[in-house]
Amino acid sequence: MDSPQNIKKRLKSVKNIKQITKAMELVSAVKMRKSQQIALDSRPYAFLALDLLATVSSLNQSSRWQFPELFKIRKINKVLFVLVSSDKGLAGAFNSSVFKKFEQHMQRDKEKYQSEEKFFVAVGEKSASYLSKKAVNIVKKFVQSGDHTTPTQVEPLADFIVEGYLEKKWDRVVIFSTHFRSALKQEPHVRRILPIDFNHIKETVQEIIPERGKFADLIKEHDISFVPKNSQAARKEYLIEPSPEKVLLKLAKHLFFMQIYHLILEANASEHSARRLAMKTASDNASDLASALNLQYNKSRQSAITKEIIEIIAGAEALS
Amino acid sequence: MKVSLYSLKKILFQGKARLLNCKTMAGEITVLDNHASLITVLTAGVIKIVEENPSANSGLKQHFYPIKSGFLEVRQGNEVRCIIEE
Repeated sequence: MDSPQNIKKRLKSVKNIKQITKAMELVSAVKMRKSQQIALDSRPYAFLALDLLATVSSLNQSSRWQFPELFKIRKINKVLFVLVSSDKGLAGAFNSSVFKKFEQHMQRDKEKYQSEEKFFVAVGEKSASYLSKKAVNIVKKFVQSGDHTTPTQVEPLADFIVEGYLEKKWDRVVIFSTHFRSALKQEPHVRRILPIDFNHIKETVQEIIPERGKFADLIKEHDISFVPKNSQAARKEYLIEPSPEKVLLKLAKHLFFMQIYHLILEANASEHSARRLAMKTASDNASDLASALNLQYNKSRQSAITKEIIEIIAGAEALS
Repeated sequence: MKVSLYSLKKILFQGKARLLNCKTMAGEITVLDNHASLITVLTAGVIKIVEENPSANSGLKQHFYPIKSGFLEVRQGNEVRCIIEE
């Protein structure tokens, strides 16, 4: 058995670790709530934008004008992959699950992608280091964006992707990020974000509300429907200024930005909840270890005392 | 008329209003009650909303929102909806 002094030292350090992980757990819980709240606050905007897109695009029945470039599906020669991860570690399997999904995806579509040129964008320190280890073509890194992403922080990323797309640097953009299903369950997801697909955006908007937990009831409260309600006749009366084409072009950019913004927010919320869970496990383990060590310390102290008493008694008996 | 003004961050305004004034790509417009259905693109400027019911001490309450860009939709049934970038 270790000496009581040594055990005491270990006990002390285990308790310190427990305090730190506990604090990190609480901080992550608050940050997760906050990220979720930000995502929820932008929902009315997202719904209205989608509604507008539905209205404007349904006006184009006779296809009098062309859809903007962002909607067009062109021949795919170059593909851009975006990996969204966190800046910091200690978040359990959060980052590795995104990378695993990425590897699986690349393995599965190996043949499909063979003829295509690949580009990569890293969001977050962890994916930057992962991609540079793989020695691939990283076009740009977006790191250190902080915890509570504001629209301004996402702007450079969205602008970069759209500009490259319009300049035909890539013909398709695929994003790997984490979908926040609930506080306990996050899943890595693969999404094609360019060219824009109405159904894909719809999916993203619907996913803003987590399936379970504090905000899950909101789905029932708001009767969400994406199918335009009014009849065709009513729609024709819309005045569109300056022209449907221009409105659609602007709208496409806004919607694309909104989609990126949501993906980042969701990844953010997932990161914090993954970290919270990891830290909870760590502090639970630390308290188990602490109680085991405490028992060991008491036993060794007790045995030391017993030994001393025996020595004293033996000494007294020898004298008498 | 019913006016709702949304940004990515939050709901800026929701309620009844007498008029809404904003800059669009085709020029400055003011939307009053019973406006025809319209969809338009907003440009950088200030949106001005005047509330419908005068309050006791300050008269008609006015709200100003500076914007970078956005969209305005006037729907049937006297309803105006805006999404804006701040």
